[in-house]
Amino acid sequence: MNDTLRNGYVYWMFVLPAVALYALFFMYPMITTTYYGFTDWNGLMPEKFVGLDNFVQALQNDMFVHAIRNNLIFILFSVFVQVPLIIFFALLISGVKRLRRFYKTTVFMPSILSTSVIGILWSFIYEPEIGLLNQFLGLFGVEPIYWLSDTKTALLSVLITNGWQWMGFYIILVLAAILSLPKELNEAAEIDGATGIQRALYITVPLIMPIISVVIMLSIAGAMRVVDIVLVMTNGGPAGETDVMASYMVLQATQTGQYGYGTAIAILIFVFALVLTGLYQLLFARKQERIEY
Amino acid sequence: MKRKTLISLIATLFIFSSVLSACGGNNGNNKQEPDKGSANPAASSNASPAPKVEEVDPFSMTLRHTQVGEAKKFRLAILEDAVKKTEADVPGLKIEFDPVEDNANRFTKLPAEMTAGNPPEIFDLFGGVGDAQKYAAAGRLLDLTPILEKLGIKDSFIDLSSFTYDGKVYGLPIGSSQEGFFYNQELFDKYGLKEPKTWEELENIMATLKQNKITPIAMASKAAWIPLMLANTLWSRYAGPDVNFGFENGAHKWNEPEMVAALTKYDEWLEKGYFMKGELGYEYAEMRNQIITGKAGISFDGIWSSSTYADPAQAGDMVGKIGYFPMPAVPGGKGDQTYINANHSNGYGFSSDLNENEKKAVEAFIKNLYNEEFQKRGLKEDNLLPSMKVEGDMMSLVADPMLKSAAAAISNAGGTFPVFDALVPSEVNKQLEIGIQQLIARKTTPQKLLDEVQAVQEKANSK
Repeated sequence: MNDTLRNGYVYWMFVLPAVALYALFFMYPMITTTYYGFTDWNGLMPEKFVGLDNFVQALQNDMFVHAIRNNLIFILFSVFVQVPLIIFFALLISGVKRLRRFYKTTVFMPSILSTSVIGILWSFIYEPEIGLLNQFLGLFGVEPIYWLSDTKTALLSVLITNGWQWMGFYIILVLAAILSLPKELNEAAEIDGATGIQRALYITVPLIMPIISVVIMLSIAGAMRVVDIVLVMTNGGPAGETDVMASYMVLQATQTGQYGYGTAIAILIFVFALVLTGLYQLLFARKQERIEY
Repeated sequence: MKRKTLISLIATLFIFSSVLSACGGNNGNNKQEPDKGSANPAASSNASPAPKVEEVDPFSMTLRHTQVGEAKKFRLAILEDAVKKTEADVPGLKIEFDPVEDNANRFTKLPAEMTAGNPPEIFDLFGGVGDAQKYAAAGRLLDLTPILEKLGIKDSFIDLSSFTYDGKVYGLPIGSSQEGFFYNQELFDKYGLKEPKTWEELENIMATLKQNKITPIAMASKAAWIPLMLANTLWSRYAGPDVNFGFENGAHKWNEPEMVAALTKYDEWLEKGYFMKGELGYEYAEMRNQIITGKAGISFDGIWSSSTYADPAQAGDMVGKIGYFPMPAVPGGKGDQTYINANHSNGYGFSSDLNENEKKAVEAFIKNLYNEEFQKRGLKEDNLLPSMKVEGDMMSLVADPMLKSAAAAISNAGGTFPVFDALVPSEVNKQLEIGIQQLIARKTTPQKLLDEVQAVQEKANSK
């Protein structure tokens, strides 16, 4: 037995199945994808190598540039609107003494629903004639707003739905961090006369910075690859207004049969996401002080 | 001992898998694909001593159709009857239905299956450069020419051009269609309007309805092919009925002045608020609802919609109160202004990867669906214009006033022109779809839209 374990080949035998599976299901698709990104291929005929053409075409295309802009808006919305709200709600829930479990469950609910369900649910809310939102606004004499079909409001409507879906998940993360903080710190501050807001701003939030940083990074990564909610609610419409990079990719690859071009866009999304999360890690996340108590 | 277990395990697996592949070999006895056989030589050597396949061995085929929902129930019933006959004709055959929504099949599901090489045996197929001809070029579609010759119906179809590639036929249109204006007769009576004979009268209808706070044109543009129906006929009036043929060979340009003039007219109607509000958010069915409920006066739609308007379950007491007229002549428009849009581009295609039994089934299916009886039934029960030349006066079967108008329009017309999407590659179609939606969203101009489409067309032509 001991002899067997000393034999280097034995280790290989154990590792090999995993390596083979990994190569088959991850390495091979990655490599072929990268290759197809440099070809003109409609999925049916043999592919033709075209160098960087697809990438140039994508970056010169107004629709794709618009899609990149939308992804950036998703990121900004997550970081500057969603994250503060997440912290706010987490602080609120951590502050209540009664029914905390009820609130936790309630805010978490949207995260367990599938995106399709959420998309359809909110499409009803946004429905121009009988939708909840316009019915409510109608009480104040507001004319019906075509939330999802007006280019002015469509993106915002999708952003809100997407935010609503994911906030609960992050709130639970932040809440867990807040509840794991030692009570003494807060009590000491309370004795020193700090108000609730002061304690939240100067003690709780700085102490949970590491988890907030993780939340921000997850939001950025999420915003880079957002697609399902867009496809369900607007399919990129009206007139490409709500297209994000991934929905543009789906459209190009599957609907016009330009698989080479679509794959090139997939590579671009990958590169952008890598660069952005990498930059965030380097510039902000690494600068965090280690907190010990 | 452990080694023994391992060896016996491997042996069992081997036996098991060779038995399995032998079964596969039997079923796929006549498959045309050589790789399948050569990839597993053990299987074929095992398969040879197996008994020959008997004629009555049950086999099943998948039929992908798009007759989904209330509006298509008549079409589904006709298809079901043809399938029942086919199953009775071919021993052992069982056809399984695979219903998929039209757009999802055409633009998502079928292309993916074609790429992967595993389409259903029988499927709903569109003709043209972007669909049938593309798949035919890649060898994915069954050449139907021998079957048509055998059945003697090779020359029975009115127009097979959009399914023809390299002189061979790869699909069969189930019916033909026409596009024109539907209108709510009650609203017309109320405001003293009548079916327009001239362009002026048409625009007067729109203006009158608008003044009376009725939406003139019902339009649902969430899917862009819907507004493009109106645009297509509009530009064929302005630039001539042959214009759609000219984009591919360079005889016509998308951004030539007449094309720009046509879309400028569309733009003018948008500017005047003639189309229903929030149209970019509405599905196709809403367009008919608006006509039926009297919220809108007219709509530009395919004649296939007449079956919805004639069905009491869908149109309620509006049955018989919806009329149809073709687009009037445009003043100063190029070419014969009586031409109307007529399509023979939607029907059925078949996978090229079929064995002999399956080919027999395809032949029986074609025999049972594409014949005089079924063409007449389509016309009578489903308001579907025939795709085949049928003896005798088909139109005497028609009682429906909308269909009668359509038939009259055809007989008064100098000729017909096809819908553009049978003649342009999918990327041009997509660019046009994006463009028209941007125009509706007031985010582009006719000139810019058409310049962009022309650029994509030129790139596609140069391939």
